[in-house]
Amino acid sequence: MSSLSVSNAHLTNELAVSIRGVGLTYTTSIDKKPTLKARAKSLGRGKKQTRVVRALDEINLDIQYGHVLGVIGTNGAGKSSLMRCVAGILPPSQGRIEVYGSVSTLLALGVGFNPSMSGRDNVFLGGLAAGMSREEIAGNFDEIVEFSELGDAIDAPMRTYSSGMYARLAFSVAAVVRPDILIIDEALSTGDAKFKEKSLNRVKELRSDDRALILVSHAMQTLRETCNDVVWLHKGQLVQRGEPNVVIDAYQEFLHLGKSAAIDEDV
Amino acid sequence: MSTPLQVYEPFKAGLPKLGRYWKSLWSRRTFIKEYSKSELREQHFDSVFGQLWLVINPLLLSAVYFILIIIIGGATDSARYAHLTASLFLFYLVANSLTGGVKSVTAGQRLILNTAFPRIMLPISALVIAIFKFLPTLVVFLVIKAIVGSPFTIEMLWAIPVLLITIFLALGLAITISCINVYFRDIASFLPYLTRTLLYLSPILYAASDLKPSLRAIEVVNPLFPILDSWSQAMVQGEAPQPSSMLQGLAWATGIFFIGTYFFLSREREFAVRL
Repeated sequence: MSSLSVSNAHLTNELAVSIRGVGLTYTTSIDKKPTLKARAKSLGRGKKQTRVVRALDEINLDIQYGHVLGVIGTNGAGKSSLMRCVAGILPPSQGRIEVYGSVSTLLALGVGFNPSMSGRDNVFLGGLAAGMSREEIAGNFDEIVEFSELGDAIDAPMRTYSSGMYARLAFSVAAVVRPDILIIDEALSTGDAKFKEKSLNRVKELRSDDRALILVSHAMQTLRETCNDVVWLHKGQLVQRGEPNVVIDAYQEFLHLGKSAAIDEDV
Repeated sequence: MSTPLQVYEPFKAGLPKLGRYWKSLWSRRTFIKEYSKSELREQHFDSVFGQLWLVINPLLLSAVYFILIIIIGGATDSARYAHLTASLFLFYLVANSLTGGVKSVTAGQRLILNTAFPRIMLPISALVIAIFKFLPTLVVFLVIKAIVGSPFTIEMLWAIPVLLITIFLALGLAITISCINVYFRDIASFLPYLTRTLLYLSPILYAASDLKPSLRAIEVVNPLFPILDSWSQAMVQGEAPQPSSMLQGLAWATGIFFIGTYFFLSREREFAVRL
């Protein structure tokens, strides 16, 4: 479980997360939902109707404080799975993950929001879901509303919001959480161009010496600007890690060519 | 190098560290409150008519069952009506936490997949919602009791420990059923039959003392039986319930709570994969 808001100072380059030989396999059933009926039916046939998906394979990765790590890869590369493992949402199937600090995740926007409640109530609901205390949220409330640019709409029910307004409020709530380790999964590309830039600036503000940031994104230019370290995942394996420009260039070359030497080795 | 705050290793069936788990759960008590409140609001229980419905609904229910009692030829005096309403309302506290609890984990999918928190929070909030719905009916019962002229005595205070045991039992049931539903999704469709059966096996439409000796086995297998009997004793008759009944109810509640919670806690890290 993540214990939040206990922010103790961390030294730059001190280890934040250590990932050792982590593998993750999902067993997805062919039947859509696990039911008693399906279980009773498959009793006679012996074998269960399942398919094993290998989402992560032998990942080794260290993340230090003071660093901004970018994670890139095609769809289904295992980026989100890895982030969920670090956040403690998914238990790894193999290996070990050690986390030296409080983790906050921004994996999806508006988690915990209830559309039938007003924006104001949802600020509290979303903040509490993210692990903040009521007092912390109340203290940051004005800042959240101002950042979201919602104005009077904050008291309207969230079901009346446009998707852009929804995303703006969700990002604003998430942006006031101050954990030791912050994981942001493709949550930056919300709202219009102006808000996008504003949220990007907020992430840049969050860069500090005693915090570790992990950004999952398909926006290569953003990653080149913000990160000082990039890892490239492909089909659950770590392909390359290093200087943003080097890794991203290699990745983009791979995208255009369809395959590269680094991938061929293991496939 | 400091020691790691969290270590995530392959899933094993086993309990997490209970002290840390409890601390993490306790730190989220406001979230449980707000989460339950927002669920209630979604069901419109924050409006005047929504709250009125919370009162009208159990009244209609008890009226329907009272008609049933008249037809099948049970005792139809005012004491029986008081017994029916008191038992029925308490039964619905348990039934509501079962129906709310069964889908609490599967409905919280988005929350589970995107944030780490003690998952047991979800069935707990189902119980909180059930308690919120129960409180107005308690007032309704006291009004009915005053109208039918049933005595108010100091022994009625025994209802407080009985209610606490019931809440404990309801919590255990909500935790157990929410965990089962992750693995067998069709439990939710069986549940109405289960609660209906429990309703008829409990001393609600009849008094516990009316039970034929050949059917005494019901008393033993129904976790709700002793506790509903004690509740009626205290609330309707205004007498101290039998200690043996209360202890039996407490034993059921403790057993279900610990077994259910053990399964829940040892499995909850796997929930994200199962949803």
